[in-house]
Amino acid sequence: MSKKLTVIPEQCSGCRICELVCAIKHFGVNNPKKAAIRVLTTYPQPVVRMPIVCSQCKVPTCAQVCPVDALRWLDGVVQLDEENCISCYKCVEACPFGALYAHEDCDLPIKCDMCGGDPECVKKCPKGALRLIPEAALGESRRLNNVLSYTQMKEIEFYEKGEKKVIRYAEVGKEEL
Amino acid sequence: MSIKSGYFKKHLHIDLTKGTAEHRNLSDAFIEKYIGGRGFGAKLVWDNLMRHDFKIDPLGPENLLAVAPGPLTGVYLPSSGKNSFVAISPATGLYGDSSMGGGFGIELRQAGIDILSITGRAPELSVLFIDNNKTTIFPMPELKGKSCLEAEGMIKERLGTHAIHVATIGIGGENMVRFACVNADWSRNAGRAGLGAIMGSKNLKAIVVRGHKDLPVYDVVGLMAEADKAFKYMEEHKYFKLWQQEGLMNVIEYANEKGILPAYNFKDSVFARHDQINGATMLDRYKIGDSACFSCPMCCGNICLVKSGKYTGTVVEGPEYETCAMLGPNLGIDNFAAILSATRLCDELGIDTISTGNIVGAVIEGYEKGILSLTDLDGREIAWGDEDAILELIQKIANRQGIGDILADGSRHIIKKWPEMDKVILQVKGLEQSAYDSRASISMGLAYATSDIGAHHTRAWTIAKEMEEGQNWTDDDKVDIVIYHQKLRPLFDMLGVCRLPWIELGLSERHYANFYKYVTGKETSLEELLELSNDIYDLTRLINARLGMSRKDDKLPYKVWANPPLTGPNAGKVIDREDFQKLLSLYYQKRGWDENGIPPAEVEKKFAD
Repeated sequence: MSKKLTVIPEQCSGCRICELVCAIKHFGVNNPKKAAIRVLTTYPQPVVRMPIVCSQCKVPTCAQVCPVDALRWLDGVVQLDEENCISCYKCVEACPFGALYAHEDCDLPIKCDMCGGDPECVKKCPKGALRLIPEAALGESRRLNNVLSYTQMKEIEFYEKGEKKVIRYAEVGKEEL
Repeated sequence: MSIKSGYFKKHLHIDLTKGTAEHRNLSDAFIEKYIGGRGFGAKLVWDNLMRHDFKIDPLGPENLLAVAPGPLTGVYLPSSGKNSFVAISPATGLYGDSSMGGGFGIELRQAGIDILSITGRAPELSVLFIDNNKTTIFPMPELKGKSCLEAEGMIKERLGTHAIHVATIGIGGENMVRFACVNADWSRNAGRAGLGAIMGSKNLKAIVVRGHKDLPVYDVVGLMAEADKAFKYMEEHKYFKLWQQEGLMNVIEYANEKGILPAYNFKDSVFARHDQINGATMLDRYKIGDSACFSCPMCCGNICLVKSGKYTGTVVEGPEYETCAMLGPNLGIDNFAAILSATRLCDELGIDTISTGNIVGAVIEGYEKGILSLTDLDGREIAWGDEDAILELIQKIANRQGIGDILADGSRHIIKKWPEMDKVILQVKGLEQSAYDSRASISMGLAYATSDIGAHHTRAWTIAKEMEEGQNWTDDDKVDIVIYHQKLRPLFDMLGVCRLPWIELGLSERHYANFYKYVTGKETSLEELLELSNDIYDLTRLINARLGMSRKDDKLPYKVWANPPLTGPNAGKVIDREDFQKLLSLYYQKRGWDENGIPPAEVEKKFAD
């Protein structure tokens, strides 16, 4: 699988529909606390609404700390071997993003399995804050945003066919970077 | 077919005087009849009134505060994040409720509780912590005088977790301002009816919840299919994107165009500089993010930041329409940054923006007309659009300083102190009016006059329909639509969901009967649910009647009869007293109440269980 689940926090409204559909799909219950994706909200400063979900790392920290080798990167997904997992939750503690979860009713860590390649959360997000994109396209929108917000940009107004427009350009060499 | 799921059947009762928490079971009969939310709350309030022979001081320890999500709260369906607070209101002395969105109600349900009730008074400022099956009450006197947000932060630090939901009061609630709110999730408020003052009177600074339980749903697969249909309908609606972008702020332009936007304490119903404070201006210059309640695709909440000028750095979730209208045009303010600052102030102090906007507007007009003297104002002048004086007055209200001490007691007390203020303050039964001018819509007037909590649009909001297609409505049509709204809108508050998908995007109310069916396993119809909701309307009317309210109280603010809007499409329009009385009689008749507005004796028997 070459597609990655990516999060665009600026788009997230914090509605937690992703949590609900994840839990319903994997456990058949209406319980956002059993989801493998959770929206973390901070306010008032900074204001952030960020869904936190497994990045399917190719060198997964969770797998490195697993004492029984129950986590393995396979075909684009870090997969949990439910037979061998001893539920020590070392992976939950070790994940640098906090993207694995525990729940007292569940015998195993809760981890995103990408729904076999068609994640429910991506389909149901009403804001387009969760996307499934080819691995090579990761970072594309960030690159574009970065270029557009380039701090040296200047603006001039001009008229085209009577309509006011604005053009932005980079003023090279005038100010120190 | 009876209830099979959808409830934990648990009622948690807290007595703060004794410091006890008692788990009680809810019977199937109770659940079926009262559904949840305000239905549960109204019944508990009624029972409490019976116990106290209808002698309850709203700010006394005997007043019962119910915190009630509904069976659909937190369930996968559009906008299921609602939770009601119910009690005898300190603003009106009558039945009061107010609902909040966000995530608090979901967390409460996940702790396994269908309804929480609180009586008594803690010996010192305390926090109630419901952690799944464990309930503790602990003193935290250091929270005294803290804003809602500060208190939330301190509680999270003390408990060592951010994964909790906290409903707090601000200094307004502590000082028992009769329009104080309960605040949660930064800016979600149970704003109306002064329920925050009740928490203050009980020395209860915050209710903290943490829950991990599965929410009971009878048929998850059926529910999901039904919900997906509803979500799809909403997402395909032509105004869906506008709602995501502007939320309720898009109503400013609409209200101005239709001539129902309060300006200068309802002296006018259009605002010349509406373009400075509308949704488009917000989007262009202030908005930095969206905010949604639980499971809501509309995300009507706007996160705004002031990036320049004297209010730089003000960050707030909001405002929505009511707040913007009442703290903006209604006070003659055309500076959106100042509106944001006033909104943040009200959120921090924990006071209702609608009532605050009304009362401050009335003070400005009262001073203009000479009803209030400069001495009454503690020597501080105030005028339309005077941002500094307005922000100062808001502070004084919440802190009960100077004139603020009288204003904090709400319309009823203001009018008692200065009887002439009755002519400038817009209120019904002591609750200040929402930001929809009823002078051009008699059905909206009827809605305000007969709302069980006072002049609020929560029970019926018929104004848009009457403005758009009501030219040839008969009296029957007008009364019928008010009664239909008063059945349906409270039903949303009983189920624990938001009404916006229905009222704003036209999502069919029939979906909700199906949602209820899939969640509870009980075969039902919308009509049956509406009848149950109507019973609760009878019950809240009965509560109010037993507390001394009757036809004489179902009246409109003086201005609505006497002072037409000065300009705009509705210039010159007022509601005629006789037309209104005729409509009111017809309304009572259709409701089966007597000429005095009192429900018949057999109604009371319904609630004897």
